[in-house]
Amino acid sequence: MNLDLTDEERSFRDEARTWLREHLPTEPRPPEGDEMRAFDLAWQRTLHDGGWAGINWPREYGGRGLSDIQQMIWYEEFALADPPFTLNNSCTFVGNNHGGPTLIACGDEEQKATHLPPILRGEVVWCQGFSEPGAGSDLASLSTRAEVDGDELVVTGQKTWTSYAHVADLQELLVRTNPDAPKHKGISWVICDMRSPGIDIRPIRTMSHVTDFCEVFYDEVRIPLANVVGGIDNGWRTAMSTLSFERGTGFMADQVELATTVERLIDEARVRTGPDGIRPAIADDEIARRLATARAEVAALRAMTIAGVSRNARTGMPGPEGSMIRLFHGELHQRVYQLALEVIGPEALRLTPVDGEGVWTGPYLQSFAYTIGGGTTDIQRNIVGERVLGLPRA
Amino acid sequence: MDLLPTPEQDEIVTTVRAQLDSDFDLHSLAAADGATRVIGADLWERCAGLGWFGLGLEEDLGGVGYGLAEETLLFGELGRHATPGPFLATVLGARVAAQVGASEAAAAILDGTAPVALAEEEAAGAGDAHLRIRDLDGARYVLVVATERVSLLPAEALAATAVESLDLLVPLSIAPLPDLSDPVASLTGDAAGLLRRRGTVLVGAELAGIATGCAEQSVAYAVDREQFGVPIGSFQAVKHRCADMAVRAEAATSSVRLAALALADGRSDAAFLVEAARVVATDAAIGNAQTNVFNHGGIGFTWEHTAHRYVTRSQVLSRTLGDRHDHLHALLDEPAPG
Repeated sequence: MNLDLTDEERSFRDEARTWLREHLPTEPRPPEGDEMRAFDLAWQRTLHDGGWAGINWPREYGGRGLSDIQQMIWYEEFALADPPFTLNNSCTFVGNNHGGPTLIACGDEEQKATHLPPILRGEVVWCQGFSEPGAGSDLASLSTRAEVDGDELVVTGQKTWTSYAHVADLQELLVRTNPDAPKHKGISWVICDMRSPGIDIRPIRTMSHVTDFCEVFYDEVRIPLANVVGGIDNGWRTAMSTLSFERGTGFMADQVELATTVERLIDEARVRTGPDGIRPAIADDEIARRLATARAEVAALRAMTIAGVSRNARTGMPGPEGSMIRLFHGELHQRVYQLALEVIGPEALRLTPVDGEGVWTGPYLQSFAYTIGGGTTDIQRNIVGERVLGLPRA
Repeated sequence: MDLLPTPEQDEIVTTVRAQLDSDFDLHSLAAADGATRVIGADLWERCAGLGWFGLGLEEDLGGVGYGLAEETLLFGELGRHATPGPFLATVLGARVAAQVGASEAAAAILDGTAPVALAEEEAAGAGDAHLRIRDLDGARYVLVVATERVSLLPAEALAATAVESLDLLVPLSIAPLPDLSDPVASLTGDAAGLLRRRGTVLVGAELAGIATGCAEQSVAYAVDREQFGVPIGSFQAVKHRCADMAVRAEAATSSVRLAALALADGRSDAAFLVEAARVVATDAAIGNAQTNVFNHGGIGFTWEHTAHRYVTRSQVLSRTLGDRHDHLHALLDEPAPG
């Protein structure tokens, strides 16, 4: 047990701090479309050129081969640099945090060499094709069919809740390659080119007015068999490695950023008039206690994140304990924005974008995603109960 | 940076656990329910012999020479076992005495011949301000902890009256505010603040241990107990409560460790992290203790079962060295870290 940084970690932190001061964009992120894609990819390229892409990825695929602790230090420095946008609110998220890490864990050498460097260099946008209208929490019941035809798969079906599908180049796609096998054993994880003939993308408007949410239809889409990652019919295991990364380190940036969000909210409470119409909001005892509780809980989140990194460093892989952090984080994120609407008083009725400086109502609407996406908190509780605590399945 | 115990620290936990399992079994301790002294002199001296009272005290002050991190592991186990006894005041009292050079008192506290009771001023309300004391009977000294001053007094300096205690293994008494002008040892100013903060971390560790113990007890029962022909832990309602308990215990444990290390290293955000950990640990302990009773159904409501021990202990500890309200306000008064 220690909080010491090694000399290497300390100089890494100092370099990150200096670099961010000089290179962090000052203009806001465009909220949608090709401008948004161009902004996100330009930032990824800037990161790559500065040596800050793929911090914990292996060196042979363009990463820096550093530890999760250094990855976490980077996120902390990013959040402290007062950025004009949220790190994970980017169309590069899936490539950096799902697709890339899955290829590192399960891909063959050619797949890794082809796909990993372009992710880090900001040349491609990846999206996720997991959920279907009939397969949400019960993901393994997915029914998008893929039939082998020569050296290709022919895919027909539908995916949903796919963020950034309309601006994506590639997709991590789960398809059923063997309808006769038990449901977990007939699934394959494939790389799908989003420009393939037969793909139809339709936007879904969300409650937070974000326009990057999509459903994707596949009508006899042909995908080379060479794009299957981790073996045909073995996609469930491949997908689980993706999800364990998401539950492990994928949301570390959000977790770190939540701490600065709570501090911003406390600053708001000091200057905004509180519920009595006279004193500042922070003078209201209930608001003060809830703000203090939020402070305590984001500090706990950071402690849990450090403990999780410590655990991963010993086992080499994110374990099911990551679901405890995801669960705690998702619900805390929502509580913080619910509290924000009480703190800001009449401003609570003014709609803001989901991202940017001094915005609260947009992120409040967006916060509902945090207990649903990537496995609902009900599913996270099942994972904690069964895989961490050893309770029997239903 | 690493928040998990080292193999050597795990060894400490294993040793403490074995001792608590054999000598502090709650079913046997129930014989002392309502007694004015719960832990006898022999057992207390045995704990001293294991080095528990000076575990985190520097060697040149007569301690074992580990740090606050190891002390939190000890107090985590005390919480996990709902162990009664004047551990907190004894560990803190030994440090106060040793720091000011009251070597005779320090030695007697460390060798187990002089247990220390804990006294805090209780919010007066309509009546006169008074001290609330736990574990006074059998104590040679009493540690009076106030905001600006920590004083070690002879126990007989208090004119104490026993009161009914919510927790039958934590004897309580009250006394008029004593004369603090001639203490055996005392700390003031920053030194007093630091000692109080160490104590806050240890109370947090004990609360986190309660949260962990309750989660373990509920999980074990949910695996074992069958209804409708299956273990109740297979029902999502029960499973999800257990998952929430595990998350609260993990949040509390990690927070306390982070706070202990920050305080031991003298970091600028230490006060922030200590207050935060204390709040999270309090909520985890009380929440888990209450849910744990419910998870056991009728059995959990009986005196014989140990679930109620966690309920009352978490209430005692949440009001030891300040209550939840005090710590929330202290936390909000801290500057933002970073």
